[in-house]
Amino acid sequence: MKIHNTRGGRVFDAVNYVFLALLGIITLLPFIYVFAGSFASEAEITRRAFFVWPEQFTLGSYEYIFATPAFTRALVTTILVTAVGTLVQLAFTVTMAYPLAKKSLRGRNIILSLVVFAMVFSGGMIPTFLLVKDLGLLNSYWALILPAAINPFSLIIIKNFFQELPAELEESAKMDGATEIGILWRILLPLSKPVLATFALFYAVGIWNDFMSPLLYLSDNSKWTLQMYLRQVTAASDLLGTGNVDPNYIPPEQGIKFAVIVVATLPILIFYPFLQKHFAKGMLIGSVKG
Amino acid sequence: MAAPVVEAEARAAIRPPARERKNGRFSVHFAHYKWLYLLLLPGVVYFAVFRYAPMYGVTIAFKDYVPFLGVNGSPWVGFQNFEDFFANPDFPRLLGNTLILAFLNLGIAFPLTIVLALLLNEVRLSILKRTVQTLVYIPHFLSWTIVASLSFLLFALDIGPLFQFLNSVMGTNIDFLSDPAWFRPLIVLQEIWKNTGWGTIIFLAALATVDQDQYEAAIIDGAGRFRRVWHITLPAIRSTIIVMLILAIGQMLNTGFEQIYLMTNALNREVADVFDTYVYFVGITQGAYSYSTAVGLFKSLVGIVLIFGTNWLAKRFNQSGLF
Amino acid sequence: MIRRKLSLAAAVATAAALSLTACSGGDAPAADLTSVSIMAPFLEAQPPGADGAVQKKLEEITGKQVKINWAPNASYEDKTNITLAGSDIPQVMVIQGKSPGFVKNAQAGAFWDLTGKLDKYPNLKTTFPDIQQNASVNGKVYGIFRGRAPMRAAVMFRQDWLDKLGLQPPKTVEDLYKVAKAFTEQDPDGNGKNDTYGITIPKWGSLGTNSPYDLIEEWFGAGNRWTERDGKLVPSFETDEFLQADRFIKKMVDEKLINPDFATFDPTKWNEPFFNGKGGIIVDVDSRVSVLINLFRQADPNNFQNKVGFVGNLEGPDGKLRAHPTDGYSGFLSIPKASVKTEAELDKVLEFLNTMNGKDAQVLLNNGIEGVNFKVEDGKAASIKPETDESKAVTTDIKSYAQLGMNVAGNQFYPVKQPTDYEQQVFDKRTDVMASDLKSAVYNPAAPYVSATYVAKGAQLDNIVADARIKYLAGQIDEQGLKDAIKLWDTSGGNKVKEEINKLWQDNK
Repeated sequence: MKIHNTRGGRVFDAVNYVFLALLGIITLLPFIYVFAGSFASEAEITRRAFFVWPEQFTLGSYEYIFATPAFTRALVTTILVTAVGTLVQLAFTVTMAYPLAKKSLRGRNIILSLVVFAMVFSGGMIPTFLLVKDLGLLNSYWALILPAAINPFSLIIIKNFFQELPAELEESAKMDGATEIGILWRILLPLSKPVLATFALFYAVGIWNDFMSPLLYLSDNSKWTLQMYLRQVTAASDLLGTGNVDPNYIPPEQGIKFAVIVVATLPILIFYPFLQKHFAKGMLIGSVKG
Repeated sequence: MAAPVVEAEARAAIRPPARERKNGRFSVHFAHYKWLYLLLLPGVVYFAVFRYAPMYGVTIAFKDYVPFLGVNGSPWVGFQNFEDFFANPDFPRLLGNTLILAFLNLGIAFPLTIVLALLLNEVRLSILKRTVQTLVYIPHFLSWTIVASLSFLLFALDIGPLFQFLNSVMGTNIDFLSDPAWFRPLIVLQEIWKNTGWGTIIFLAALATVDQDQYEAAIIDGAGRFRRVWHITLPAIRSTIIVMLILAIGQMLNTGFEQIYLMTNALNREVADVFDTYVYFVGITQGAYSYSTAVGLFKSLVGIVLIFGTNWLAKRFNQSGLF
Repeated sequence: MIRRKLSLAAAVATAAALSLTACSGGDAPAADLTSVSIMAPFLEAQPPGADGAVQKKLEEITGKQVKINWAPNASYEDKTNITLAGSDIPQVMVIQGKSPGFVKNAQAGAFWDLTGKLDKYPNLKTTFPDIQQNASVNGKVYGIFRGRAPMRAAVMFRQDWLDKLGLQPPKTVEDLYKVAKAFTEQDPDGNGKNDTYGITIPKWGSLGTNSPYDLIEEWFGAGNRWTERDGKLVPSFETDEFLQADRFIKKMVDEKLINPDFATFDPTKWNEPFFNGKGGIIVDVDSRVSVLINLFRQADPNNFQNKVGFVGNLEGPDGKLRAHPTDGYSGFLSIPKASVKTEAELDKVLEFLNTMNGKDAQVLLNNGIEGVNFKVEDGKAASIKPETDESKAVTTDIKSYAQLGMNVAGNQFYPVKQPTDYEQQVFDKRTDVMASDLKSAVYNPAAPYVSATYVAKGAQLDNIVADARIKYLAGQIDEQGLKDAIKLWDTSGGNKVKEEINKLWQDNK
């Protein structure tokens, strides 16, 4: 469908494109520096304040972190936990959002208020830990997935989205004899792809970036996720400034820091482009009319 | 005479059946909607178990909590923690700093996110759009330590490129990293760089569901780019904007600790100290879990009031609100 | 019929299996401690694996199964608290420092009070009772401290610049000023540009953290955190010498001998100005000397000697040498009461720790496995080249295992042999200088004492003075402003801290 462009429109487009391209570069550059730095020697990193290409290419940092299988194991673990966790969390959220989208459902407002309340109030780290322990989930990957199974914010947005979908869709489906679950599965979900893709991304990133849960619940080192390693090398080494860090400690070389960041960030970064096709514009709503 | 009867009949005709009304018998209601309640069950169980069961932890705010003694074994101190917090001579300053940063972020970073989403939406060159979309959200994944390091690099006294550029443009010699007047702009700038791209995702998802027919109709009517955006695009995502706004307001007091901590130094601490840095400092250096829990409780209370308040306000203006 | 027999057999088998597990594992009587669980921090990018060569050798030496739960040091305090709040508490916990959180838990009875109990174990009896006292909480020893080098303060400078300008290494603080001035004004790198300066100081946190400021203040005679004046203990910043020292530093700041962004300079980049020929002096720990030399060596393996020179502590304006020591320890190994319930069990755990502090274990934890990753040469541990996968694994692992070392009676492991002869010379000189300075060390008399008020608000109080110091140096406030800030410290709670510390000090004399 062609959109005719006025001259003003063309100028706007040109400026917009240039601006966005520049923005893309500005946001990409720091990561390129990190990426380049992971292939550079400590001396070069100390000497050159900022660069996008190392003068002397070295794999030393990557050799160091992959010297033991720990890192590879963490990478695989993190990917698996994120994949399974995202599906579980999304399933929990969507199945709860759908009923709450029905304004005529009794108890809806109470439940919604409780959801919003839970968004802001929480029992805190130690009570949650004790709960997870009592449920026998310690040292299990489920401890990384279940406590955050539903993000109240995501729940509300998805619920709102379901509310906005035209009622005629459901009614016509009901007249054809569909059940509630059938409606959800066959009609609403396909229409909700952009929203589902968005929250799949949010949940995936949430699990991927979560370092508190593995720290608290996984005592078995072989089960660790990447964030444990990432946090370790990037946490401000003088975070407390009180000197509780062992004086024998020599911070890891910056190249190693960069390498860890690259390995721990790249996989989730490339997840988004795969989801982008679900953000295609103007799907299907029009098909209901008439 | 005839009119009221007609009216009553008319009303009866459009009245929804008992099972769909909120004031009919619940058993009827339930039977009709049993599948929905079934779908609701896992989520409700989740909230009950993982969100509400641990809420007794809130009592830590009223105790002098020692991890070894456990929640029940720790001595009760009533409102002592809260008194310490509010009576602290630094409290007004912390409150002021936190609020100012919050309003700056809400007033600047939030609208910019929407603007960026709109700009991205206007791009028809698919490859550019998808590439830029992927790139702008990268900073979200870089930790604040990297952002801080980069800021130190860019604004370094005398040698930082941005230091030189900005000062030459303004004809001044300001040390942005230590000047209290520039702390807040710097923080907001960092926030924008790091999170704006990420923030556009939800708006772009909403924009993806906008009905294209309306644009065609508008073009036929001769509407230019800006009017199309103003009259079609924006209203289409209005409910999303409002929801995000309400949530942002509810989170207002949570400035986050790491970013501020990294950018704070002796010379700008006056404007830099916020609740979160203060509490972290106190909570960790003094092992005072109770204190940090108390402050957290205070922030949550403010947050809930703000959320319900703005939600009510939105409803009054006939918008959809959060719930 | 058959089905019933099978299920019966299954039931019996299960019951048998269950009863077996109930008898073995779990709570073994104190008489035979077969396994010990330890929680320790790791500082590297990754912790050791559970089945490395070092782990096996450790179990061989101690004769027990050693289960180490490695936790990232980045959130160790949280992890410690969570562990204490839970029920799976290890038998030994490495505590990184005497944090107020730890003090609270200890005073509530979380850990065994080991005062007086350690002497009967030959390897746990310390030869540094002062350090043990410093590590105690008001005299109560809550763990076996981890000994660290007691003296580390050093002044390092670009030797090539010094040589070019024909100067001698500084001996006094006045010399420091002269060298810094020369570095700033006399173009020591000979490039015709006015682009060098003297000392680089990064952004620094609070008081008493071995910052360059603390070092210089001590050299002027202000004492080490607390000092005795007229029979009482006062904080160092309440002395005249403190003001003198800061006046001295301010003079250098005003004359641009110190980097102008000292309030904001990123500490992780501290080596850069030195390495890149901008700032010629660093006042920090002696180990940084070797780090710098290593950088120069990486950049140019043929020309890296004589780029870095150093001296130890400097004499004050009155000619006296007051060396600034470290705390002498970095945390300790504590024994939680919840998992080690009786004195008999405690005895067994202490025996285990005794073995872990013996020579064999020390060599293992700090050097590695002889013949695999190192060999002994001239009483030093020289790494075996070429490195094999095995040796690399051991070398990496021991960086973490060293965290378990106590060394309360001195180091019994081999010092590490440096990669080149030159670096070995530097290393030996460092050891000598530090040993000599140790004789003039000025200790913190208040180190063992934990004041309740300080625990409650000490960090914020200290910020008042630390910030004022920076503001004064930056010219935002004048000396009166600095004095006012010190008074504010007093009135905001500092007076109570002084009272409490003095009382504890008197009671424990």
